[in-house]
Amino acid sequence: MKRISIDPITRLEGHGKIEIFLADDGSVANCYFQVPELRGFEKFVEGMPMEEVPRVVSRICGV
Amino acid sequence: MAKLKLASYWAAACGGCDTAILDIHEKILDLAAAADIVFWPIALDFKYADVEAMPDGNIDVTLFHGAVRNSENEHLAKLLRAKSKVLVAFGTCAHIGGIPSLANLFNKQSIFKRVYHDSPSTVNSDGVEPQPKTKVPEGEITIPQFYDTVWPLDHIVDVDYYVPGCPPTPKQIWSVVTTIVSGQLPPKGSVVGASEKTQCDECPRQKHEKKITGFKRIATAQPEQETCYLEQGFLCLGPVTRGGCDTRCQLSGVACRGCYGPPPGVLDQGAKAISAIASVIDATDPAEIERIISEIPDPLRSFNRFGIGGSLLVRKAL
Amino acid sequence: MTSFQPKIIGILCNWCSYTGADLAGTARIKYAPNVRVIRVMCSGRVDPTFVLKAFADGADGVLVAGCHPGDCHYIDGNYKTMRRMALLKKLLADYGIEPNRFRLEWVSASEGDRWAEVVNRITEDVRKLGPAKFRAKAKRRAEVSVA
Repeated sequence: MKRISIDPITRLEGHGKIEIFLADDGSVANCYFQVPELRGFEKFVEGMPMEEVPRVVSRICGV
Repeated sequence: MAKLKLASYWAAACGGCDTAILDIHEKILDLAAAADIVFWPIALDFKYADVEAMPDGNIDVTLFHGAVRNSENEHLAKLLRAKSKVLVAFGTCAHIGGIPSLANLFNKQSIFKRVYHDSPSTVNSDGVEPQPKTKVPEGEITIPQFYDTVWPLDHIVDVDYYVPGCPPTPKQIWSVVTTIVSGQLPPKGSVVGASEKTQCDECPRQKHEKKITGFKRIATAQPEQETCYLEQGFLCLGPVTRGGCDTRCQLSGVACRGCYGPPPGVLDQGAKAISAIASVIDATDPAEIERIISEIPDPLRSFNRFGIGGSLLVRKAL
Repeated sequence: MTSFQPKIIGILCNWCSYTGADLAGTARIKYAPNVRVIRVMCSGRVDPTFVLKAFADGADGVLVAGCHPGDCHYIDGNYKTMRRMALLKKLLADYGIEPNRFRLEWVSASEGDRWAEVVNRITEDVRKLGPAKFRAKAKRRAEVSVA
């Protein structure tokens, strides 16, 4: 079974990879999209004063 | 003169550094005239395999932003170090850990528990968590290993230069680009694209004598806009933060939270912040001191918002 | 089984606490040998960075000692110490360092006995806590083992 890896996906914000498995006749047998990143904002803002949170979570996405 | 080969890569990042690079606007044409960009996921379709196939030292300068949070970030840090003549820790995350390094107060287990099980909008009755390897009918697929600790770039590989800022300002980015293109590079290990003084040197607010008798929060009090924040009792990390950003936060009505990192000679921004601020608290009685400092909530994340990964202790002991 | 010998860094002001420690020595007082002394001119010289660096570089405990409030050779240096160390204690707590690993003490030049007591007390407190485990989780690049 042939395997095509697209790693990384590009021209968007964020990390991602795509694995495509081809059957012998060249058709797509299966395709997986994976997100290889996590930073955990939802955890590490716990306990912060609420007025400080906007300037932290703006760093979830700089775009 | 041959065009420079440039790369820009994001590890545990938000895209803000790349957006700041794009914010040099029409100067991007001057950049394109001087350099070929050979790897830039936000804008160009080069793959990791393309970088792996390059000879060592092929890239003249790599701007590496984002912190090292997982095995893929670590792999790319080591790969780009090998493939680059000059490696720049670009932006606060690569410089001193950045906002992602706030996660160093926690660990993988507690982060995964919140993200994949306990957060209110998550439905995960099978209790599934991401695994580095997963068997599927067609074979095996992989994702990076998530580490307990977030690291600045220089904790993983040798770094040639640091460009601070969350993000670095486009004006400073252009000055760094012109320095690179000129070939007149400062000594290795230098911080570039920033001032050698603190925020206070550039801040337009009126400064008088500091005698702090209490701390205020913007949640419950309104600062006046002409006077130094710290003098009014609003926590400001300006005295312990490197200048160079044109005091963009102070000019926008909020106090500095330290994203440009420590000033020259300071090993730990949080430690220096408490040293500087304690100096100007106006109290000599232990009970009064305790009353005043208790008005600062969340000490570590207040005195060191952007650089816990780059602090001397790096992380909370768990 | 040998008992754990804590490595404690002591930063002592020249005028009061170092002299007091000297007195403990000339008076031949026997006390725990676990504190390595660094002399500074004033406890107000103690940058919180020194304490964090001591912990980061391998100390199991840190002791800062100065003149009693009101007796500082430089008048108000130790008031700055008092305020800095109060904030530092909160920072150390947020870093997960047990409170008994760090102490701020006032020791006068005539308090040789007190110096011995202070050292014995911090040594036993740190011995009970065991070696500082947090270092294992924060290694520098030379031996980076990212986990």
